[in-house]
Amino acid sequence: MGRALLIGRLAIGELRRRGLESALVVLMLATATTMLALGLVLGGASKGSFALTRALTRGPDMVAEYVQTPDWSLKPATAFAPLVRAPAVIGASGPYPVAFVRLRARGMDVLAQTEGRDRAPAAIDQPLVTAGNWVRPGDAVIERSFADQLGLRVGDTIALNGRPFPVTGIAVTTGLDVNLWSSQDTVWLVRADTEGLATRQHPLGYVLDVRLADPSRAAAFLNSPAGNAFCHTCSGMVMLEPWQWIGDAAYRPIARNQGVLVVMSWFIAILATASIAVVVEGRMIGQTRRVGLLKAVGATPRMVAAVLLAENLLLALAAAALGLAAAHALAPLLTNPGDGLLGPPTAPSLSAASTVIVLAAAAAIALAATLVPTVRTARATTMRAITDAANVPSRAPALITFSAWLPFPLLFGLRLAGRRPRRTALTIASMTFAVAWVVTAITLQHQINFINRASALTPPDEYHPTNPLTQVITVVSVALVIAAAITTIFSTWTTVMDAQRPSALARAFGATPRQIAAGLTVSQVVSGLAAACLGIPAGLLLYATVGGRLGPAAPRAVSVLAVIPGTMIAVALLTAIPSLLGARRSIAGILRTD
Amino acid sequence: MIRELRGPVLWAGELCKEYGGGAGLVRAVDRASFAVSVGESVAIVGPSGYGKSTLLYLLGGLERPTAGTVRLAGRQLDGMTEGELARLRRRALGFVFQASHLVEELSAQENVELPVLLAGASSRRARQRARELLTQVGLADRAGHLPSALSGGESQRAAIARALVNEPAVVLADEPTGNLDTATGAEVLRLFGQLHAAGQTLVVVTHDERIAAMSDRVIFMRDGRFVDQSTLAGRAGPELGAISGLDL
Ligand SMILES: Nc1ncnc2c1ncn2[C@@H]1O[C@H](COP(=O)(O)OP(=O)(O)OP(=O)(O)O)[C@@H](O)[C@H]1O
Ligand SMILES: [Mg+2]
Repeated sequence: MGRALLIGRLAIGELRRRGLESALVVLMLATATTMLALGLVLGGASKGSFALTRALTRGPDMVAEYVQTPDWSLKPATAFAPLVRAPAVIGASGPYPVAFVRLRARGMDVLAQTEGRDRAPAAIDQPLVTAGNWVRPGDAVIERSFADQLGLRVGDTIALNGRPFPVTGIAVTTGLDVNLWSSQDTVWLVRADTEGLATRQHPLGYVLDVRLADPSRAAAFLNSPAGNAFCHTCSGMVMLEPWQWIGDAAYRPIARNQGVLVVMSWFIAILATASIAVVVEGRMIGQTRRVGLLKAVGATPRMVAAVLLAENLLLALAAAALGLAAAHALAPLLTNPGDGLLGPPTAPSLSAASTVIVLAAAAAIALAATLVPTVRTARATTMRAITDAANVPSRAPALITFSAWLPFPLLFGLRLAGRRPRRTALTIASMTFAVAWVVTAITLQHQINFINRASALTPPDEYHPTNPLTQVITVVSVALVIAAAITTIFSTWTTVMDAQRPSALARAFGATPRQIAAGLTVSQVVSGLAAACLGIPAGLLLYATVGGRLGPAAPRAVSVLAVIPGTMIAVALLTAIPSLLGARRSIAGILRTD
Repeated sequence: MIRELRGPVLWAGELCKEYGGGAGLVRAVDRASFAVSVGESVAIVGPSGYGKSTLLYLLGGLERPTAGTVRLAGRQLDGMTEGELARLRRRALGFVFQASHLVEELSAQENVELPVLLAGASSRRARQRARELLTQVGLADRAGHLPSALSGGESQRAAIARALVNEPAVVLADEPTGNLDTATGAEVLRLFGQLHAAGQTLVVVTHDERIAAMSDRVIFMRDGRFVDQSTLAGRAGPELGAISGLDL
């Protein structure tokens, strides 16, 4: 008991003396745990909104659709006959005509579909009006998520194939797969108005909303004789979609966000480990002597290790608590299924198991980052620790020979980088993750823009669909870049401290402070260069792995390659101040101490 | 070129260096003045903590004086920027420290090359110069060794080679035998003897009687000031005359 207290007291004392470093470690770990917790929370998001909307709109159990082609048409009654006659089907609404049109509004020009409806409410799939009124001749009612994307409100006017329609209502439905490309952007008109919009090039399609005796067996109906008969009768484009699929589709963005968050939390966890290892190593340089003194007064290596680990575990717990709180606050933003459905966003809560996972992950990251330096320091012999000889730099003969050909700042910087290969590797690792993520983000964002452009007929200057994925990517990119920046500053400062003696010596023999500062910066910029070269292929690979397609949607090589100079400039800027401070320390003060 | 200058190559006037302030004020160097001519070797002796190292750092521009002036190789150090000081040191100065202060991850040869590379010479020239100097200090067969594999005396000789490699106008040495026992100190001592004979200008801070004995001049320091030869207990001989001309 007394020993545990002593360990705790020593650990807390040390943390307080190194407030800034401790805060940064907490920040890194908190970012990682937030992402992890968010990923876990989204996994448990319920589908309450869809169920509520389905109930309120008498949502169909099955949606059947077929589309005529310019040289093929069939009476809708004939096409849907096999479905209507099937024993499993107990009711149907429709068929409703569907026209494929160009919609212009507020300077935007996009593709949409219009569905022709009756003024009287339908028994199956009656969209619920959330603003304005239901369809009247000459008026348009817009699906809510589409209206939100275009920024349209009741009272606006839209043009469909050039014909003006006032927007008189906004409504929600579960009769549409809101995330299926063809039917996402829907406008309801009366039947006659819809039929009037068909063109030779784009003939009408028809939709039938079906009620089944057993809604839970909707997916099985696809392979029933009736389902097969419908698909064979119509040689045009056919779609048969059970309500469960529509429901899943409504939550697809959330599932996708969850996937991104989980990948991301791994990223950040690894990055955090690398960054924390750099920070811990930096503080070990200052602590070796203290550890030696502790051991000289009788502390065992195990106790010394316990103090060091206790410090970082305390930080990990604080960070995990912060991360859980942040995830709790952010989750509703990401679990909102959007304007296509009714009801408040289901605020999922963290299960006890998830909480334990997050705590354990934070502890594991802290331990992984601390273990090697801790064990090494704790095991160093007491005298070696006191004289601080435990940190013998490594020698890279080829690098030393090669750098002799270079101007002094490059020579000095490369040798500094080669002097501490572990720290250099960790710094490169952390920067590589940030670069890889930024490349992924650029590519992904480019593809989102590409798809948006493809769906709009005019340049989409004003067409900015709000995409939660874009927001998530932005948040993560910022988090990763900040983490990499912190690591870089720490790595530079650690290098500055560690290179005090060689720097002072070089100055005594005629190196100018500017050369030293440039050398310290170079030692980090080479890491940035290596990270950029590794990070670009890694980012593209990651993008391909999570299902992204390159090809026409790939960003131009220039914008990806710009990441290399971008990284190097960013690193140079980040390291400039610590490097200049390091280069200006008193030479005599440093060389006098031995 | 620098060697051919007439008059003192190193000159200090009324040098003062204070550390801290108020009650904690330490006057490490207090109005010290002296001049060193080309080819002269000067030993500075005195009790521990009396400002000898500080004086040496002031002379080399590694530390800025609180007051007073230093002239080195015809240039006045006060008012020079850190960069200008550094460039002057490349050609004009060689330093030897008490702890040899070799860069740990560089071999003896690479340590000696460093000042040559800093002065802008090619890596080939640096290698050649370093080999010459290591031969001169008797370490030709140890050139590839890391500092950790060199004995104390060998390290110090490598450090001396490093200080000499750019043919500096003045070599400043701070207790070069301070960390060595009598036997290993003798190797270093012999080297200083050779340098002196070859006409190298030397300023050596030392506790070592033997170095003091072979210098042209011995300056005794106490409380940051140079004191009169009369306080040099038990000393007599040709050096005394030189000391009396201290306060320029
Ligand atoms: N950075 C500093 N801050 C405060 N005081 C200092 C500093 N550096 C040196 N001193 C003080 O200046 C005085 C002279 O120090 P210096 O190292 O020059 O003495 P020294 O004669 O070389 O001693 P030694 O023979 O032990 O090497 C000492 O009292 C020392 O404590
Ligand atoms: Mg001294």
